[in-house]
Amino acid sequence: MKKVLGSKKAIALFVVPGLILYVGIVFVPVIWSFGYSLFSGTPGLDWRFTGLKNYQKLFLDSRFKTALIVNLKYILYTMLGQVVLGLGLALIFRFGLKRFKNTFRTIAFFPVILPTVAVGQLFAKIYEIQPHYGLLNSLLSNIGLQNLVQPWIGQQSTALPALSVMDIWVSMGFYAVIFYGGLLDISDDVMEAAKIDGCGFWKMFRTIIFPLLRPVTITCLVFSFAGTVKMFESATALTGGGPGNATTSLSMYMYNVAFSYGNVGYGSAIAIVIFLICVIGTRIIRVLDRE
Amino acid sequence: MKKKLLSVILTAALAASMTAVGVCATEPDTQAEKNFKVLSIWSDESVDGQILIGMLDKYSEVNPNFTYEYEYVAASDLSTKIATLVSSDDLPDLFAYVAGTPLKNLINADKVVNISEELESLGLSDQITDGAKSIMTSLSGTDDLYDLPFGMNVEGFWYNKALFEEAGAEVPTTWDELLEVCDVFMEKGIQPLATGGADKWPTTRLINAYAYRTMGADATRQAANGEISFTDEGFVAAAQMVADMVEKGYFGEGATTVDNTTAENMLLAGECAMVYDGSWFTSSITADTNPAGEDGIGFMGVPVVDESISPSTEYPMNCGNILCLSKSKYDGATAGFLQYFVENIGDYAMGDYQSVRGYTYTVSDDALSPITKEIVDTITTATGSTAWWEAYLNDETKSAAQDNVQTLINGDMTAEEYMDSIQEAYDLSR
Repeated sequence: MKKVLGSKKAIALFVVPGLILYVGIVFVPVIWSFGYSLFSGTPGLDWRFTGLKNYQKLFLDSRFKTALIVNLKYILYTMLGQVVLGLGLALIFRFGLKRFKNTFRTIAFFPVILPTVAVGQLFAKIYEIQPHYGLLNSLLSNIGLQNLVQPWIGQQSTALPALSVMDIWVSMGFYAVIFYGGLLDISDDVMEAAKIDGCGFWKMFRTIIFPLLRPVTITCLVFSFAGTVKMFESATALTGGGPGNATTSLSMYMYNVAFSYGNVGYGSAIAIVIFLICVIGTRIIRVLDRE
Repeated sequence: MKKKLLSVILTAALAASMTAVGVCATEPDTQAEKNFKVLSIWSDESVDGQILIGMLDKYSEVNPNFTYEYEYVAASDLSTKIATLVSSDDLPDLFAYVAGTPLKNLINADKVVNISEELESLGLSDQITDGAKSIMTSLSGTDDLYDLPFGMNVEGFWYNKALFEEAGAEVPTTWDELLEVCDVFMEKGIQPLATGGADKWPTTRLINAYAYRTMGADATRQAANGEISFTDEGFVAAAQMVADMVEKGYFGEGATTVDNTTAENMLLAGECAMVYDGSWFTSSITADTNPAGEDGIGFMGVPVVDESISPSTEYPMNCGNILCLSKSKYDGATAGFLQYFVENIGDYAMGDYQSVRGYTYTVSDDALSPITKEIVDTITTATGSTAWWEAYLNDETKSAAQDNVQTLINGDMTAEEYMDSIQEAYDLSR
């Protein structure tokens, strides 16, 4: 083995095919996008070289700023919700349930396999206010909380949290299953020993379970970050980016700019920003890992 | 001698090229073999789709060598699709498109056929009605037509007669009366109006309605040309009017969550008294599924504010989505289809579908349902027209106008801020 890996030719033989593929599907498009971002207009119609003008425009464009803030808020709310509630569910599966474990796991995982458009329609009905109250508003109205009845996805203050709730509901089962796998890996002996030493659940969670779950938690955070940074289909299905631009993410804005407004160059500049956010976000999570 | 010969040859070449410019229209060839590609936003379930496919089928009978491929895309994806096809220089022979700025871009890039020239050489210029012509040329800002109308719509308020009777209200003719009637409905516990705020355009149409009644039919075009500003008092007042009406509860709770189909259905089901909509709504009114019945819904146009600025016979009108012919694909076979299409669509649409399409027709319209007849009469007696709110705006400005109208009616943005946001997007995109 040492002999094989000692040969540079052999290493090249193993690495080069993967490298070519990676460069082809990651590096080339990124560089291509960067190239596009130096132009303005639509290829074929009015395609002009404008240098860094698109990047200057980013600073003047209030809709870009709004989309950036919306996206960051969404990442924060949804990532926290998915990972924390996923962990909570996994703890319930592992320690809380004595019977029907499989049934509960199946129910919790079920939303993951539903098509996003169907979930969007479902939640649009749940949040409905006109012409008839949806599930949430009827419930509030019936228990005497009429003052809380409101257009959940129709006003700026609640639209993004309402969207996050939907996405948390969809994915927390997925994270619960990953965490559950991690919990099963923690040896019963360790926990029993802790119990004998008089360790309560909270202390055991803090000092034993959570530290041992760290690799799994990092994995979940990376998954969740990758899923939320590209926020697109669920917002399109539930709110269409509205009201106003309250739920328009960077990817949605990029899509609109590039394809609806026909400004592919400016759209590419936004895509480069999204790429940078991905790189920075993953770096931050990696730093957590090292600590 | 040689010089003389050269000059003769050059003169002859020049003359030949000048004649070639003069005769630029293509001769129709009704026997030519062609696989005609059509890009449409109308499925074969819809009336529009059936009329277009009907025309293609009928022409295939006339010219057996003519076959067609009918591709359907969702209306929301049309601009994207066309932009991609333009980039790859692969526009289909015939395609649905959007009048106004999107079409202007294609005209400027020389991608679409000059319809006026072609129709003139075919001697068919009179087949398209003057009303449709003036709407379309004013939208594209050209003297010539570069698109074919595929609809003729008038917009205004539609009302539920039973609810008006129940509330003892009169159909309003002025904007003040409209507000009074709304108050009467509110007192009776009936929702006066509904708007498809989730779809955005139905709500901007309301601002447009008040703006053209107070500023004249040309106001939005002037603003889009930079002659006046979107932040002008009149526009702000129009945005404020709609915001106030929402604030008073005329549109019920959460108007931004209602889509236009729901708003239409609310009117038919008697869950609201009035809706602003276009005459394409008549097909839902005459359908068997209408719970109010065909006679239960009336049309009243936009109430007047000042008769001297905009008279009651001036309506928001449009030709809906239009049809264009790709310049690079245009040949004798397509000219043959164009000739057949323009000659026959008026009669076919009216005879078989009771539908006005912007073309002259010879069949009798006696068989029309009363509401359709009323609409046809309104269109033919209109003395002037105005376009819709976003008609002259480019895509970025249009998007600001539409997205922020939700923020406006939610009260998260003032009327001034709303108009400022449109002006900002307009300035930024220039």
